[in-house]
Amino acid sequence: MDRQAMAEYRTHMKIIGDILYTTRDDLQDEGGATVTYLIRKANISHSRISRILKTLVSQGLLEQVDSQGANKYRISPSGREFLQAYHAFTEFADSFGLNI
Amino acid sequence: MEVLLENVLNLVGFLVGLIIGIMSLIGFRNTGSPTLFRLTIAFFSISAGFLVIWSGHMIEDLVAESGIIKRWIQTLGIGIQTTGYFFIAFSHSIKAFFPKSRYFRSVGVLPLFLVSSVQLEHIFRSVSFILLAYGAIETMLSYFENKNRGAISVATGLAMLAFGEFLGWYSFVFPESVLDHVSTIIKIGGLILLFVPVSKIPLTRIKFDDGPDNLK
Repeated sequence: MDRQAMAEYRTHMKIIGDILYTTRDDLQDEGGATVTYLIRKANISHSRISRILKTLVSQGLLEQVDSQGANKYRISPSGREFLQAYHAFTEFADSFGLNI
Repeated sequence: MEVLLENVLNLVGFLVGLIIGIMSLIGFRNTGSPTLFRLTIAFFSISAGFLVIWSGHMIEDLVAESGIIKRWIQTLGIGIQTTGYFFIAFSHSIKAFFPKSRYFRSVGVLPLFLVSSVQLEHIFRSVSFILLAYGAIETMLSYFENKNRGAISVATGLAMLAFGEFLGWYSFVFPESVLDHVSTIIKIGGLILLFVPVSKIPLTRIKFDDGPDNLK
């Protein structure tokens, strides 16, 4: 397998970062992002994103809001702090040629 | 002169390893990243290895007053450092070959078959050289992908450590030569280069104790 194809592999941490960045920077509206929207943005399966969202909500990084009968997700203050740390340590790992 | 350089190398190695190890640990606690966990083990090992050798020198100088470090202490310190280099190389193996290829498993084992030396210290130095060279090459390749300038500094630092390790090993062939001093100076330069990009990471904005514990 060539190097470029392997570089497309995303770590679990990268997927979490992508989801949190989407909920922080790329929201459809103030009410939060739907699961369908996050699946499209994060490009992963429904079952996998459901597990990740459950974890992120239980860790307090995302807030689950009930908007007109649909579950939506928006980033919490802890999630914003996590993203700051994520950004800094991504740079740190990049310096060693690694992905966090 | 030789003792002074040796002490500078061991102290710089101990401090650089300790600082990068602590930063990796903070990163691991904040993000739960397995990569940062491996870097934590790597740099704490490197730091501990230098500390063991430095302590050996100090004990011999101040307590035993023989002035020559015991061979087994030096071997132990180099062995611990090699463990640290292994974890850096291992992280690169995982990044480059995981999860689709099994090739990384073979490169993890290969260095053990490439050496034929009879002394443990020679084996550790040889393995260290291979691991450091591998880490330097992978870091440089990652620079070509990401264009992160810090990666150049780290790649050069790892390459200098590898070259220093090679010269250090070579000085067994020509003991008491200038190669020993050159090896020590190159390694000190390599350690400083490892620290340069890490010192620029903006840690002051991060709240350190509220990171998630279980994101895996």
